[in-house]
Amino acid sequence: MARQYALGGIVELPTKVVDGTLRSGVSVRFEGNVVVLGDVNPGAEVTAAGNVIVMGVLRGTVQAGAAGDERAVIVAFRLRPVQLRIADHISRSPDGEVFNPNQPEMARVRDGTVVIETFPPGGERQGKN
Amino acid sequence: MSEVIVVTSGKGGVGKTTVTANIGAGLAMLGHKVVLIDADTGLRNLDVVLGMENRIVFDLTDVIEGKCRLRQAMIKDRRFGESLFMLPTAQTKDKSAVTEDDLRNICGQLREHFDYVIIDCPAGIEQGFQSAVAGAEKAIVVTAAEVAAVRDADRVVGILESKADIRDPKLIINRLRIEMVQRGDMMTLEDMHDILGLELLGVIPDDEAVVVATNRGEPVVVNEQTVAGRAFRDIVRRIQGEAVPLMNLESREGFFNRLRKIIGFR
Repeated sequence: MARQYALGGIVELPTKVVDGTLRSGVSVRFEGNVVVLGDVNPGAEVTAAGNVIVMGVLRGTVQAGAAGDERAVIVAFRLRPVQLRIADHISRSPDGEVFNPNQPEMARVRDGTVVIETFPPGGERQGKN
Repeated sequence: MSEVIVVTSGKGGVGKTTVTANIGAGLAMLGHKVVLIDADTGLRNLDVVLGMENRIVFDLTDVIEGKCRLRQAMIKDRRFGESLFMLPTAQTKDKSAVTEDDLRNICGQLREHFDYVIIDCPAGIEQGFQSAVAGAEKAIVVTAAEVAAVRDADRVVGILESKADIRDPKLIINRLRIEMVQRGDMMTLEDMHDILGLELLGVIPDDEAVVVATNRGEPVVVNEQTVAGRAFRDIVRRIQGEAVPLMNLESREGFFNRLRKIIGFR
């Protein structure tokens, strides 16, 4: 059985590591991947040409694949964004009650829309296959 | 050892001036020498909240322009002996009248003579804010339990940490309505902590006594019979370095019932 890859294929871009929480009003832009070692608070924004990985709670606005790459993904320990953008697809959190699972999730483009999946993919632990 | 503390919030109307006045008065009641600086040039309020409006002759901008000495612009609050002073700012000028260097310089002079220099910061993050935080080494961020106030507080904390180099600001949550929190209609302390991640200096329950006291020009901290007054006393002791547990907010009704009982027995 073939190994399942988490990312959509962008694995070799340069990566910027943000060492801490991004507070409201802060903007991070990078021509590659961005990894945040903290939360992205409401009012903060991250824009990356590649993937965005948040090792904390994502509550702000994130754009991945900013140069148009639809393979880009957004991964967060807790995905609670105001808005997610991947390439030129924009999605916002639904109005009203939202189901917020307490586990890492990943947003990616599938069939022209942004979908959110559990992370790691499949929601299963990797066994020894 | 003296401390220069700025009281700030980002958003307006969450209670910066009330907090400044009460912390100042509370520290003075414990015998510390305190000076409060109103940095909200053009929209000054601290003098009104302290009931000292009619005693202003010179202000901060006069000191900066060399029209008077620093000592002459400072007004003593006689209710607190020799402990509490206030340095008002001008009402008829704008924020450009006070620069970052001006406040840095004045705070530097004042800290020689006082235990606590407390700056009442204007709302916003523009020049008035920049000047107000320039002279400070510590910060107290005031917020209300609302999404907008917390968002602005978060912004301000980011600027304090990155530009003003003020580490670990402390948080005061003002005007909390515990019955609304319990109903799920107001942000909880946990919600706010999740976003701001600051050490909590205290929680001030919503209390009509604050409005009454403010209109009278008398800090509510003086009155131990009020919930807000006791919350401020706890905060002041924490500023002094004491470890004071958070007051049990739910016991508020119990307190009033007790009070009623006492009155009823008479």
